[in-house]
Amino acid sequence: MKILVVDDSEAFRKLMIELLVRAGFHDVIEAENFDQGLEKFKVERPKISFVDMILPGKSGVDLTKAILLVDPKATVIAMSSIINKKMIRNSLETGAKDFLLKPTNEIALSSVLQMWSD
Amino acid sequence: MGLFSRKSKVGQVGRESGLGITRKYKLAPGRTYIVEESPPDISFDAFVNILSTAVDGSKKTVGLAVSRQHPDLIRQKYGLEATPIFWLATRAGEDVISPTNLGILTNTLVRFIVENQEGVVLLDGIEYLISNNDFNKILRVIDQVNDHISQSRSLMIVPVDPRAFSQKELALLERNTEKLGSARKSP
Repeated sequence: MKILVVDDSEAFRKLMIELLVRAGFHDVIEAENFDQGLEKFKVERPKISFVDMILPGKSGVDLTKAILLVDPKATVIAMSSIINKKMIRNSLETGAKDFLLKPTNEIALSSVLQMWSD
Repeated sequence: MGLFSRKSKVGQVGRESGLGITRKYKLAPGRTYIVEESPPDISFDAFVNILSTAVDGSKKTVGLAVSRQHPDLIRQKYGLEATPIFWLATRAGEDVISPTNLGILTNTLVRFIVENQEGVVLLDGIEYLISNNDFNKILRVIDQVNDHISQSRSLMIVPVDPRAFSQKELALLERNTEKLGSARKSP
């Protein structure tokens, strides 16, 4: 199963990839902004996309909308390092399936993967 | 003399509004969970996730946090609006518990557990408490609160920085408690 991680922090992308690999998900692609994220989604068609809500330029909510326009059945998981309830509700209304608080950990990530990888 | 004749700081306890996200931490009621980590990210994530989600149509649970971190910072980062948060500090104030006043700390936690049978307690700042007292006194506080947790459907989350404790102290802390998560540090 292919997974996309979109976050402008290289250190966080590396951490996510390490956690995903440890959880048994080896096919992981990464992007650092809206344009790269959308391009990689179009080409690679990942099953799950983890998208940071705060990206340089266009936001994670914008990217969620764009991904779901390409594939309405795509699974997008919103991420953020703070819990801003308005932003989380906005991302879920846009079509994100769930939310993950950064920095994440094996328990929370495994739970999300278990819920949305079927 | 009643159970809460000594001073306790618990006032009105409110429920957080739901976020529409899934429950990520399946913690058993009636248990205390020790989380070996620094900073306490897993502990706060679990605390907030449980307070912001309901399972199988049940009512969302209520929580109480005690932390060395200032309540305003916690509210800002974790979006907590209704949950009482007490600051472990030596300054005077309504939402402040002095690290040397273990009676008020214990009574605040016990009263919350007794009055909220399915509540969640986050006790952050054990290292600070120990630096102002001694280990055995803090262990007695945790044991006493844990006794009340065991008799209720509440649960308690206690982050500990394993670098601040000896193996013997960690073993004593983990006696009668569960371990949650790993000590992994993230960027």
